Amino acid sequence: MNPYLPVLIVLVFAIIFGCIMSGLSHFIGPRKRTLSPVKDEPYECGVPMVGERDKMSVKFYLTAILFILFDIETIFLYLWATTFRELGWFGIVEVTIFLVILVAGYVYVVKRGALEWD
Amino acid sequence: MGLDLQQIQAFLDNEFAVQLIATAIKFAVVFAICIQVPPIMIWVERRAPALMQRRKGPNRVGFFKLRLWGLLQSAADAVKLILKEEIVPRGANKIFFQIAPIFGVIPALLIACAIPYGNDFQLFGYNIPLSIVNVDVGFLFILAVSSLGIYGITIAGWASNNKYSLLGSLRASAQMISYEIPLGMSLIPIVLIYGTLDLNQIVIGQSNLWNWGIITSPISFMIFFVCMFAETNRAPFDLAESEAELVAGFHTEYGSAKFALIFLTEYVVMFILSCLASTVFFGGWQIPFVPHDTLMQLIGGLHIPVLPYLLDLVGWGAPFLSLSLQEMGVHSLIASLIGVAVLFIKAGFFMWMYVWVRWTLPRFRYDQLMSLGWKFMLPVGLANIFVTAIIVAILNFK
Amino acid sequence: MTQLHLFYVFAALVTFCSVMVVGSRNPVTSAVFLVFDLFLLAGIYAMMEAHFVAAIQVLVYAGAIVVLFVFVIMLLNLEQESHGKVRVSIPDIVMMGITGLSFVIIAFLVARVPSMATVGEMTPEAIAAAGGNTYVVGMVLFTKYLWPFELASILILLAMVASIVIAKKDKAAKPGRRRTVNANQ
Repeated sequence: MNPYLPVLIVLVFAIIFGCIMSGLSHFIGPRKRTLSPVKDEPYECGVPMVGERDKMSVKFYLTAILFILFDIETIFLYLWATTFRELGWFGIVEVTIFLVILVAGYVYVVKRGALEWD
Repeated sequence: MGLDLQQIQAFLDNEFAVQLIATAIKFAVVFAICIQVPPIMIWVERRAPALMQRRKGPNRVGFFKLRLWGLLQSAADAVKLILKEEIVPRGANKIFFQIAPIFGVIPALLIACAIPYGNDFQLFGYNIPLSIVNVDVGFLFILAVSSLGIYGITIAGWASNNKYSLLGSLRASAQMISYEIPLGMSLIPIVLIYGTLDLNQIVIGQSNLWNWGIITSPISFMIFFVCMFAETNRAPFDLAESEAELVAGFHTEYGSAKFALIFLTEYVVMFILSCLASTVFFGGWQIPFVPHDTLMQLIGGLHIPVLPYLLDLVGWGAPFLSLSLQEMGVHSLIASLIGVAVLFIKAGFFMWMYVWVRWTLPRFRYDQLMSLGWKFMLPVGLANIFVTAIIVAILNFK
Repeated sequence: MTQLHLFYVFAALVTFCSVMVVGSRNPVTSAVFLVFDLFLLAGIYAMMEAHFVAAIQVLVYAGAIVVLFVFVIMLLNLEQESHGKVRVSIPDIVMMGITGLSFVIIAFLVARVPSMATVGEMTPEAIAAAGGNTYVVGMVLFTKYLWPFELASILILLAMVASIVIAKKDKAAKPGRRRTVNANQ
């Protein structure tokens, strides 16, 4: 059996299950809409909505980019970890060089204060 | 009898059919367990703090005199949620508001299928694994699919048209991606030590108590343990839904069954991470000091002819009555199922830890959370990989 | 259903999602279809027995699209979808025509010319025997493609520096913007 067949089955099932759950209240819940001007308003602690939606901090963006870069690094390390026994010391030296370069980047990131949330 | 033995035999000769049926049964069981976890955990999460704070907690809901310590409270809540009116806030993006919870639940159910709940067992001459999804890349599958869980949260927050939701979802996604790196790194020493990405092989490698991941790689366990809390947005890292600041975070606007779905997803992910932690660091389905082979032999020697006796009532089981479990060929199945129970006990411990920590530790501040992830866990994780590699190399490559 | 049929289903879905990525007005819709697109591509990779690439596809692009999401959320409000009509000018039509024509020609050539691809040594069975897809990719990367691997680290380093230079303003550049966070401690 193809190992991805169960993935496909579970995927289809999960989508169906999600749709059923998500739509359940729509069909079972009360249909009569009580009309009130404030009912549909976004939650704002009971007072009228204040202000527009703010622009978000650039920090989130920076974090997301740094995540990708370190994620790629982690994946390379996974490849090394699976072949660790065969590569031996040679592999360790390779990965050390790889990591030294990246740690230099990491130190730069920290020194520039990109990871400070103020 | 209506059943033809030859037909059964012909069916059993078809490996694809047997494996497909096995997959369906396994998935049905895993799914049933997954949707049982949230109600039980919610009950625990109400009763446990009540115990800690010397109050009673929910104890009323029940049938007549049968109260079951308030266990039915969760069932009542679930029914209540489903029967609620569906409200979509004004200005929300209707489509994305509806599908965001579905986005969340798909990865949760997918990773639930990649955990080896027990050892592979032999039945009818086939080797049947107890994890549903067995792909070549091992637990990279879990890491990959679980990273998709962010979308549900981000989209839910964005589509709600509420500043608290948006801020909560951005916080949650920044936090989850930040802690995904140390989480991934904490598992690399495990690959170095056990030499495989296959979770079941990792469990087989932990046959003794002193081979367990927590003994061979304690720093990894500590990093993983902290990341478990951060990945699920649980206290003390529940900044994404800190009630005092953001109402309820990304699901502020959600009610009715969609809220139930979000809740379900959250607890399923908690449960799967607990299972993963016990699998990787606590020997998975292995019973301490009892190797799996010994367990199989013990069970194989037993004579418990319950099933043959029942079959005998309809005139079938007579030839099986005197056989031991091994001779009936079910001993490895039973041993694997005992392994499942053992894994659930271990995972239950971690679930309890989730509750325990929540009511013990105060919440982090957001800058503390991010600097813990980026400035402490990441370098420690890297150093841990490096030191583990050197030690394994010295021990293994002469 | 054979593998080939499944491939057609996936390919059709990928094409549809790609068109939606380009065609939808709302940037978040585009991003969501990009997620579907990359997930389905991972499915195609998995069907080609490139398990490792499939996993990495999901893992890395999941993060990459979160970046897009955050970027969109940062820059746009929910209501500010661009409602302007898409205007199609004559050069656009010409370009679309050329693209469509080249697509037809390429499809025709691919269908007519007999496949040059041959079965290599690394059949799925050989890979499984050698220790799995991840292992084989790792061995090749760390022996044959050693230099590209080391250069990749420099590439990542460059990306790190670049992202900070672009996104991170020096603190001196915006005095007075720093708020005190100690108010509620």
